[in-house]
Amino acid sequence: MVGKRGARGSRKDSKKSDRGGNKSGMFRRKKVCRFCVDKIDYIDYKNARMLMPFIPERGKIQPRRLSGTCATHQRKLQTAIKRARQLALVPYVTD
Amino acid sequence: MSTDRQYELIYIVSPSATDEGVAELHTQVEAIVGKFDGRIEKTENWGKRRLAYEVNHCKEGTYVLELLLGSGEMVTELERRLRVEEDVLRHLVVRVDEELHTAERTATRRAETRKRRRGARGLPPEPQAPQTPVKATAEVKEATAEVKDG
Repeated sequence: MVGKRGARGSRKDSKKSDRGGNKSGMFRRKKVCRFCVDKIDYIDYKNARMLMPFIPERGKIQPRRLSGTCATHQRKLQTAIKRARQLALVPYVTD
Repeated sequence: MSTDRQYELIYIVSPSATDEGVAELHTQVEAIVGKFDGRIEKTENWGKRRLAYEVNHCKEGTYVLELLLGSGEMVTELERRLRVEEDVLRHLVVRVDEELHTAERTATRRAETRKRRRGARGLPPEPQAPQTPVKATAEVKEATAEVKDG
Protein backbone atom coordinates (compact mmCIF):
# COMPACT_ATOMS: atom_id res chain seq x y z
CA MET A 1 0.00 0.00 0.00
CA VAL A 2 2.58 2.45 1.15
CA GLY A 3 4.89 1.55 -1.70
CA LYS A 4 2.10 2.03 -4.17
CA ARG A 5 1.23 5.42 -2.86
CA GLY A 6 4.85 6.39 -2.92
CA ALA A 7 5.11 5.38 -6.56
CA ARG A 8 2.10 7.43 -7.45
CA GLY A 9 3.46 10.39 -5.60
CA SER A 10 6.75 10.21 -7.42
CA ARG A 11 4.99 10.00 -10.78
CA LYS A 12 3.04 13.10 -9.94
CA ASP A 13 6.26 14.83 -9.00
CA SER A 14 7.92 13.89 -12.27
CA LYS A 15 4.93 15.20 -14.20
CA LYS A 16 5.19 18.46 -12.35
CA SER A 17 8.83 18.81 -13.18
CA ASP A 18 8.04 17.96 -16.82
CA ARG A 19 5.66 20.82 -17.03
CA GLY A 20 7.50 23.36 -15.00
CA GLY A 21 10.95 22.40 -16.22
CA ASN A 22 10.65 23.95 -19.62
CA LYS A 23 13.80 25.45 -21.03
CA SER A 24 12.17 28.84 -21.25
CA GLY A 25 10.88 28.40 -17.73
CA MET A 26 7.33 28.97 -19.00
CA PHE A 27 4.39 27.16 -17.52
CA ARG A 28 2.49 25.56 -20.37
CA ARG A 29 -1.23 25.52 -19.77
CA LYS A 30 -3.00 22.29 -20.55
CA LYS A 31 -5.09 22.63 -23.69
CA VAL A 32 -8.74 21.71 -23.48
CA CYS A 33 -11.05 20.44 -26.19
CA ARG A 34 -13.17 23.30 -27.46
CA PHE A 35 -16.03 20.99 -28.37
CA CYS A 36 -16.10 19.50 -24.87
CA VAL A 37 -16.13 22.95 -23.32
CA ASP A 38 -18.96 24.16 -25.56
CA LYS A 39 -20.75 20.80 -25.17
CA ILE A 40 -21.10 20.20 -28.89
CA ASP A 41 -22.09 16.60 -29.56
CA TYR A 42 -22.58 16.75 -33.30
CA ILE A 43 -20.02 18.52 -35.45
CA ASP A 44 -21.95 19.74 -38.45
CA TYR A 45 -20.09 19.54 -41.75
CA LYS A 46 -22.44 22.15 -43.23
CA ASN A 47 -21.26 24.81 -40.81
CA ALA A 48 -17.99 25.90 -42.36
CA ARG A 49 -17.51 28.66 -39.82
CA MET A 50 -17.31 26.11 -37.03
CA LEU A 51 -14.66 24.11 -38.90
CA MET A 52 -12.48 27.02 -39.99
CA PRO A 53 -10.54 27.42 -36.72
CA PHE A 54 -9.25 23.87 -37.19
CA ILE A 55 -8.05 24.46 -40.72
CA PRO A 56 -4.84 26.47 -40.82
CA GLU A 57 -3.79 28.53 -43.82
CA ARG A 58 -2.48 25.67 -45.85
CA GLY A 59 -5.82 23.85 -45.68
CA LYS A 60 -4.65 20.87 -43.69
CA ILE A 61 -6.52 19.54 -40.68
CA GLN A 62 -4.88 20.80 -37.52
CA PRO A 63 -3.46 17.95 -35.42
CA ARG A 64 -4.73 17.25 -31.94
CA ARG A 65 -1.37 18.12 -30.49
CA LEU A 66 -1.81 21.71 -31.65
CA SER A 67 -5.53 22.27 -31.20
CA GLY A 68 -5.98 20.28 -27.99
CA THR A 69 -9.15 18.61 -29.27
CA CYS A 70 -10.01 15.34 -27.54
CA ALA A 71 -9.80 12.08 -29.49
CA THR A 72 -13.54 11.63 -29.88
CA HIS A 73 -14.10 15.10 -31.18
CA GLN A 74 -11.04 15.05 -33.41
CA ARG A 75 -12.44 11.95 -35.11
CA LYS A 76 -15.78 13.64 -35.65
CA LEU A 77 -14.10 16.83 -36.77
CA GLN A 78 -12.07 14.85 -39.29
CA THR A 79 -15.14 13.37 -41.00
CA ALA A 80 -16.89 16.73 -40.91
CA ILE A 81 -13.97 18.49 -42.60
CA LYS A 82 -13.67 15.79 -45.22
CA ARG A 83 -17.35 16.04 -46.06
CA ALA A 84 -17.16 19.82 -46.19
CA ARG A 85 -14.23 19.51 -48.59
CA GLN A 86 -16.26 17.42 -50.99
CA LEU A 87 -18.87 20.15 -51.05
CA ALA A 88 -16.30 22.90 -51.67
CA LEU A 89 -17.24 24.56 -48.38
CA VAL A 90 -13.69 24.19 -47.18
CA PRO A 91 -10.54 23.96 -49.33
CA TYR A 92 -8.48 20.83 -49.89
CA VAL A 93 -5.34 22.89 -50.29
CA THR A 94 -4.56 26.56 -50.50
CA ASP A 95 -1.30 27.76 -51.94
CA MET B 1 -41.51 0.62 -44.30
CA SER B 2 -39.29 -0.01 -41.41
CA THR B 3 -36.14 0.48 -43.48
CA ASP B 4 -36.69 4.23 -43.64
CA ARG B 5 -33.53 6.12 -42.92
CA GLN B 6 -32.70 9.74 -42.57
CA TYR B 7 -30.43 11.26 -45.18
CA GLU B 8 -29.09 14.66 -45.98
CA LEU B 9 -28.68 15.47 -49.63
CA ILE B 10 -26.75 18.53 -50.73
CA TYR B 11 -26.17 19.42 -54.33
CA ILE B 12 -24.44 22.37 -55.89
CA VAL B 13 -26.06 23.76 -59.01
CA SER B 14 -23.95 25.52 -61.60
CA PRO B 15 -24.22 29.34 -61.53
CA SER B 16 -25.27 29.37 -65.20
CA ALA B 17 -28.53 27.61 -64.27
CA THR B 18 -31.56 29.83 -63.81
CA ASP B 19 -33.92 29.82 -60.83
CA GLU B 20 -36.29 27.72 -62.90
CA GLY B 21 -33.47 25.24 -63.48
CA VAL B 22 -32.95 24.91 -59.73
CA ALA B 23 -36.68 24.48 -59.19
CA GLU B 24 -36.76 21.90 -61.97
CA LEU B 25 -34.01 19.90 -60.24
CA HIS B 26 -35.96 20.04 -57.00
CA THR B 27 -39.07 18.63 -58.67
CA GLN B 28 -36.95 15.86 -60.17
CA VAL B 29 -35.62 14.97 -56.74
CA GLU B 30 -39.15 15.11 -55.38
CA ALA B 31 -40.34 12.73 -58.11
CA ILE B 32 -37.63 10.17 -57.33
CA VAL B 33 -38.27 10.39 -53.61
CA GLY B 34 -42.00 9.96 -54.23
CA LYS B 35 -41.41 6.95 -56.45
CA PHE B 36 -39.58 5.13 -53.65
CA ASP B 37 -42.19 6.08 -51.01
CA GLY B 38 -39.77 8.44 -49.30
CA ARG B 39 -40.43 11.83 -47.83
CA ILE B 40 -38.77 15.22 -48.05
CA GLU B 41 -38.71 16.69 -44.57
CA LYS B 42 -37.18 20.02 -45.38
CA THR B 43 -35.68 21.86 -48.31
CA GLU B 44 -33.25 24.68 -47.86
CA ASN B 45 -31.84 26.83 -50.59
CA TRP B 46 -28.65 28.49 -49.44
CA GLY B 47 -28.47 30.67 -52.53
CA LYS B 48 -25.32 31.44 -54.47
CA ARG B 49 -22.14 30.88 -52.49
CA ARG B 50 -18.48 31.08 -53.33
CA LEU B 51 -16.83 27.70 -53.69
CA ALA B 52 -13.65 27.03 -51.76
CA TYR B 53 -12.04 25.81 -54.99
CA GLU B 54 -12.99 25.73 -58.65
CA VAL B 55 -15.30 22.97 -59.78
CA ASN B 56 -15.77 22.59 -63.54
CA HIS B 57 -14.33 26.09 -63.99
CA CYS B 58 -17.05 27.56 -61.78
CA LYS B 59 -16.17 29.75 -58.84
CA GLU B 60 -19.60 29.83 -57.25
CA GLY B 61 -22.69 27.71 -57.12
CA THR B 62 -26.17 27.44 -55.69
CA TYR B 63 -26.37 25.10 -52.72
CA VAL B 64 -29.55 23.15 -52.08
CA LEU B 65 -30.01 21.02 -48.98
CA GLU B 66 -32.76 18.41 -48.70
CA LEU B 67 -33.53 16.33 -45.63
CA LEU B 68 -34.89 13.00 -46.79
CA LEU B 69 -36.49 9.96 -45.27
CA GLY B 70 -36.36 6.83 -47.35
CA SER B 71 -34.66 3.63 -48.34
CA GLY B 72 -31.20 2.91 -49.66
CA GLU B 73 -32.54 2.14 -53.15
CA MET B 74 -33.91 5.66 -53.27
CA VAL B 75 -30.45 7.03 -52.57
CA THR B 76 -28.79 4.93 -55.27
CA GLU B 77 -31.33 6.17 -57.79
CA LEU B 78 -30.89 9.77 -56.64
CA GLU B 79 -27.13 9.54 -56.91
CA ARG B 80 -27.34 8.02 -60.38
CA ARG B 81 -29.62 10.79 -61.59
CA LEU B 82 -27.60 13.58 -60.01
CA ARG B 83 -24.41 12.28 -61.51
CA VAL B 84 -25.93 12.42 -64.99
CA GLU B 85 -27.34 15.91 -64.51
CA GLU B 86 -25.08 18.49 -66.11
CA ASP B 87 -26.12 21.46 -64.04
CA VAL B 88 -25.16 19.71 -60.80
CA LEU B 89 -21.52 20.43 -60.00
CA ARG B 90 -21.34 18.32 -56.85
CA HIS B 91 -23.64 16.32 -54.70
CA LEU B 92 -23.30 14.51 -51.39
CA VAL B 93 -25.66 12.18 -49.58
CA VAL B 94 -24.96 11.51 -45.91
CA ARG B 95 -26.90 9.19 -43.64
CA VAL B 96 -27.40 11.18 -40.47
CA ASP B 97 -29.83 9.26 -38.25
CA GLU B 98 -27.20 7.26 -36.37
CA GLU B 99 -24.94 10.23 -35.78
CA LEU B 100 -27.82 12.37 -34.55
CA HIS B 101 -28.96 9.59 -32.23
CA THR B 102 -25.51 9.24 -30.69
CA ALA B 103 -25.34 12.99 -30.21
CA GLU B 104 -28.73 13.00 -28.55
CA ARG B 105 -27.77 10.12 -26.29
CA THR B 106 -24.61 11.89 -25.15
CA ALA B 107 -26.58 15.04 -24.45
CA THR B 108 -29.19 13.24 -22.33
CA ARG B 109 -26.51 11.28 -20.50
CA ARG B 110 -24.67 14.48 -19.70
CA ALA B 111 -27.84 16.12 -18.43
CA GLU B 112 -28.59 13.13 -16.21
CA THR B 113 -25.10 13.00 -14.76
CA ARG B 114 -25.28 16.68 -14.04
CA LYS B 115 -28.62 16.34 -12.32
CA ARG B 116 -27.38 13.41 -10.22
CA ARG B 117 -24.19 15.16 -9.21
CA ARG B 118 -25.96 18.36 -8.36
CA GLY B 119 -28.46 16.33 -6.32
CA ALA B 120 -25.59 14.63 -4.48
CA ARG B 121 -24.19 18.03 -3.60
CA GLY B 122 -27.57 19.15 -2.31
CA LEU B 123 -28.12 21.72 -5.02
CA PRO B 124 -31.26 22.24 -7.11
CA PRO B 125 -31.11 20.22 -10.37
CA GLU B 126 -30.73 23.28 -12.55
CA PRO B 127 -28.37 26.14 -11.77
CA GLN B 128 -29.97 29.53 -11.23
CA ALA B 129 -29.27 32.43 -13.51
CA PRO B 130 -25.73 33.66 -12.89
CA GLN B 131 -26.10 36.84 -10.91
CA THR B 132 -22.92 36.88 -8.91
CA PRO B 133 -20.51 37.24 -11.87
CA VAL B 134 -22.28 40.40 -13.04
CA LYS B 135 -22.11 41.82 -9.55
CA ALA B 136 -18.49 40.87 -9.28
CA THR B 137 -17.55 42.73 -12.45
CA ALA B 138 -19.52 45.74 -11.26
CA GLU B 139 -17.54 45.70 -8.02
CA VAL B 140 -14.33 45.42 -9.94
CA LYS B 141 -15.36 48.37 -12.08
CA GLU B 142 -16.11 50.39 -8.98
CA ALA B 143 -12.78 49.44 -7.52
CA THR B 144 -10.93 50.52 -10.65
CA ALA B 145 -12.89 53.77 -10.69
CA GLU B 146 -11.83 54.40 -7.12
CA VAL B 147 -8.25 53.73 -8.05
CA LYS B 148 -8.55 56.20 -10.91
CA ASP B 149 -10.08 58.80 -8.61
CA GLY B 150 -7.28 58.30 -6.16
